[in-house]
Amino acid sequence: MIKEYICIVCPRGCRVNVDENLNVSGNQCQRGKTYALNEMKSPTRILTTTIKTTFQDMPRVSCKTDKAIPKSLLFAAMKIINQMTIDKSMYIGDIVIENILDTGANVVLTKSIKESTNEEIYFSD
Amino acid sequence: MYDYIIIGAGVIGSAVARELSKYQVKVLCLEKENDVANVQTLANSAIIHAGHNPEPGSLKARLSLWGNLLYDDLERELNIPLLRTGAFVVAHGKEEEKDLDKYVKICKENKVPGYQLLSGQQARKIERNLAGSITKVLSLPSTKVTNPWEVAFALMENAIENGVKLKLNHRVTKIIKENDFYLVEVNHHINFKTKNIINAGGVASDDIGQMIEIPPFKIKGRKGEYYVLDKRNIGFINHVIYPLPSERGKGVLLTPQVHGEILIGPSSEFVDDKHQASTTQKGLEYVKEHSKELAKNIPYNQIIRSFAGIRSTSTYDDFYIQESKYNKGFYYLGGIESPGLTAAPAIAKYLINDVIGVQNHYLINNQFKPYRKAKVEFHRLPLNDQKRLLEIEPKYGKIICKCEKITEKEIIDAIHGLLGTHTIKGIKKRVRAGAGICQGGYCEEKVMKILARELNLDPLDIIYDKDNSKLFLSESKVEK
Amino acid sequence: MIDCIVIGGGAGGLAAAIEIKRLGHNVLLIEREDKLGGILNQCIHNGFGLEIFKEEYTGPEYADKYIKLFLREKINYLIDTTVIDLYKEEDIFIVKTSSETLGIREYKSKSICLSTGSYERTRGQISIPGDRPYGVITAGSAQRYINIDGYMTGKRVFILGSGDIGLIMARRMTLEGAKVLGVAEIMPYSNGLNRNIVQCLNDFDIPLYLSHTVTNIKADDSNHLKEIRVMKVDDSFNVIKDTEIDFQVDTLLLSVGLIPDIILLDQLDVEIDPLTKSVKVDQSNQTSIEGLFVCGNALQIHDLVDNVSKESQRTGKAIDLYLRNTNHSNKKISFIPGVNIAYLTPQYIDFSNPNEKVVVSFRPKKKIEKSLLKVIQNDRIVYEKKKMFLLPAEMETIELDILHFDENQPITLELEVIS
Repeated sequence: MIKEYICIVCPRGCRVNVDENLNVSGNQCQRGKTYALNEMKSPTRILTTTIKTTFQDMPRVSCKTDKAIPKSLLFAAMKIINQMTIDKSMYIGDIVIENILDTGANVVLTKSIKESTNEEIYFSD
Repeated sequence: MYDYIIIGAGVIGSAVARELSKYQVKVLCLEKENDVANVQTLANSAIIHAGHNPEPGSLKARLSLWGNLLYDDLERELNIPLLRTGAFVVAHGKEEEKDLDKYVKICKENKVPGYQLLSGQQARKIERNLAGSITKVLSLPSTKVTNPWEVAFALMENAIENGVKLKLNHRVTKIIKENDFYLVEVNHHINFKTKNIINAGGVASDDIGQMIEIPPFKIKGRKGEYYVLDKRNIGFINHVIYPLPSERGKGVLLTPQVHGEILIGPSSEFVDDKHQASTTQKGLEYVKEHSKELAKNIPYNQIIRSFAGIRSTSTYDDFYIQESKYNKGFYYLGGIESPGLTAAPAIAKYLINDVIGVQNHYLINNQFKPYRKAKVEFHRLPLNDQKRLLEIEPKYGKIICKCEKITEKEIIDAIHGLLGTHTIKGIKKRVRAGAGICQGGYCEEKVMKILARELNLDPLDIIYDKDNSKLFLSESKVEK
Repeated sequence: MIDCIVIGGGAGGLAAAIEIKRLGHNVLLIEREDKLGGILNQCIHNGFGLEIFKEEYTGPEYADKYIKLFLREKINYLIDTTVIDLYKEEDIFIVKTSSETLGIREYKSKSICLSTGSYERTRGQISIPGDRPYGVITAGSAQRYINIDGYMTGKRVFILGSGDIGLIMARRMTLEGAKVLGVAEIMPYSNGLNRNIVQCLNDFDIPLYLSHTVTNIKADDSNHLKEIRVMKVDDSFNVIKDTEIDFQVDTLLLSVGLIPDIILLDQLDVEIDPLTKSVKVDQSNQTSIEGLFVCGNALQIHDLVDNVSKESQRTGKAIDLYLRNTNHSNKKISFIPGVNIAYLTPQYIDFSNPNEKVVVSFRPKKKIEKSLLKVIQNDRIVYEKKKMFLLPAEMETIELDILHFDENQPITLELEVIS
């Protein structure tokens, strides 16, 4: 079976084919080959989403995995994150979930959450 | 026991309600929708016609000529918006000019004030964007435009202040005639007793008649589709521009609106389902095509919205404003299509004074208050007034709809007013939040939050217009 | 008297304000929301900052970087404050603001930097026929509802338009448990970045229907979206018969373009470019009104926030020069988009300050694999460069040296397709 990938390394957007013996075709440069093989063997993604909070004026706060995690684990990771609720002040970069699903990636906040003014949010760290 | 039950709270039902409140009568108005002015009144051209079209001698002619004058009173008493635009009926070439003469004759017979003929050139001096192919113009200086639902709100609010009761979400499901009164069943389970019924049911007026007799007319839905041009094109045309009328009605028009937009339309098409007002590719293309005969270079890239409305054309040739021939005390207001908005205040007076003769049976309500306070349109006030109001109410300082400059206080007032609302669309109808160029893209979320806060509702229960048209299906991250 | 009032506290306004302040002027920034950062706050996905920070950030993180810089500069700012009027009296700009805490105020300023972003094209502007139910919503509004407020508009979703926000929302709603049934794009190519096609659609097996559009919308009894009809279009965008596909959905997201928000300039008689739907500017992003500068999405729609920051920083530098030079000569010639150019900025080149590079931004009209970009003046090619893989979805920038041009003749930019 041949799988087709659109290479996103550069704007050219080559359609790269990889067959079951890992022969790569359609790429116009070496980076495209690496990209396609990687996508075939172990595609990973950074997951970005939100977490529930108890703060009235900010019912959701944004977060991400600090490393890319296997694509196949995105929904499982969502399930874990969706069960969390943040009920205290936290800052951008703070770890909310350590080593999620044993991926080695932590879920970190991408925004600070605190009931206070702009200055306090940005300068208390 | 009510003296009168009015079925329908469109502009006609509202005008009748206010007229009745001038007497010592007990009046109830039943509306199936969750807001006043939600059907025909919400989707039409908003014109107070001069009277060049209706057959001389018809009720349409008589009541629209009279209605046009009464709007000046409504403006003074109820603070409705009114723009004195005048109108041009345009003719292209000799053939159409002959047709135009027919309407000159009608103007003469209907005693339309101030009408005159202009050459194409003269007209283009006044309206520079008029199509070059136009050779002759019938000018109608007494044409005006208003905002139909604001008129209905004003009439109904004033009626309520003078004692009329209004019940929304009350759909009449059955009417039973007893000896000397009617039993009106609503939503299949509530009953109201009344001596008289006024059927202002618009597109459903024949169905309501059907509940007690074979109605004297059938309503056929005639759909009209429109484009709305952004208000930044204000001045593109300043008059209402009509083509020559045809068997399909007054045709596609250009109509400047009181808040600055320009309406283009309507198309005209009989439809099977008179309750279904959806736009169609065909209808909108028809509008676009025909509008070219009126003006050149219409900036179609500045359309902000399109919509459709249903007109209730009846099988009877004229307005049908009569008591039932079989059921005493049951009155029809049927086939009220264009010029129905124009005629509305006159229709109410004609029905009350001439057809029913309320004055012969009931005393005048000496407490009647004809005036209604204007709502605050904050951004239109002079700076001094704004500053004075801000000292009392800082929420006038918080802009929610930036396109129309609508403040939080105006929205709060719309929620809690005499005709309060709990819907996003209701806010838009009352204060224009979301009616501007971004069409609520910026303010809908803010309006949603204000509604939730003011009415102590969960945002999950906030609705767009009809009950159950909820904005949200669920919270995110919560299994449902 | 304030040197410069910056209107808008998003990516553009922050970068401009920081630059102007650093160059020694007093600045007031006005933001209508209760937080700085603008639309970045709701763009929780990553992909921001690669150009400027060489690192990949999410929208809120990118905003955070600039907000911290902004606050360290101790720049004056107002939040929860809307500008309701902007006009010029002689050489002074008057900015009228409204807020709950301060009421109506007037501020006077020598210059204005307008960075008010853009708004989304709506259903009304593209006139999709059918019923008018709730559930047809712009992608950006849905993004705010889901990411900031935590509400889902629906669970069965279709997306019209392959703009980046639509693609991002396809992934976002899928991750939150919705079923996204497809994306329809009227053009024969995607309007979003390749990366988003791959990571937002392909990753989740969401089909992309190119040369397709939504031709009808149906409501249920409570006026909520029930069904849409999608049809194929031909080269002139007319629908092709018998190509209907009906989708039962409760949400139709519209991602059909952004329009620069320059509503505030309505009172000013400023020259407009119908191609960008914004103002015409010279290379310092100054409009036809002296002292009025525009940057960010209010000037032209960007696909990368990094470019907004850079452009706004440049605008800040230009405002500094404007404030220092009391003598503003205007020696402008037109810069005209030629063959295969959808639009370009700046639309004028000002020769009163010849020692500078001109940064030109443009988009091609169509997808072009290989092209020769030519800058032509007086039938003479002044500048020429090979350009590969140009897409309408990706804004291009080039730098021109002003010294190469004659000060009196209009200049044209064009793309010649080569094989």
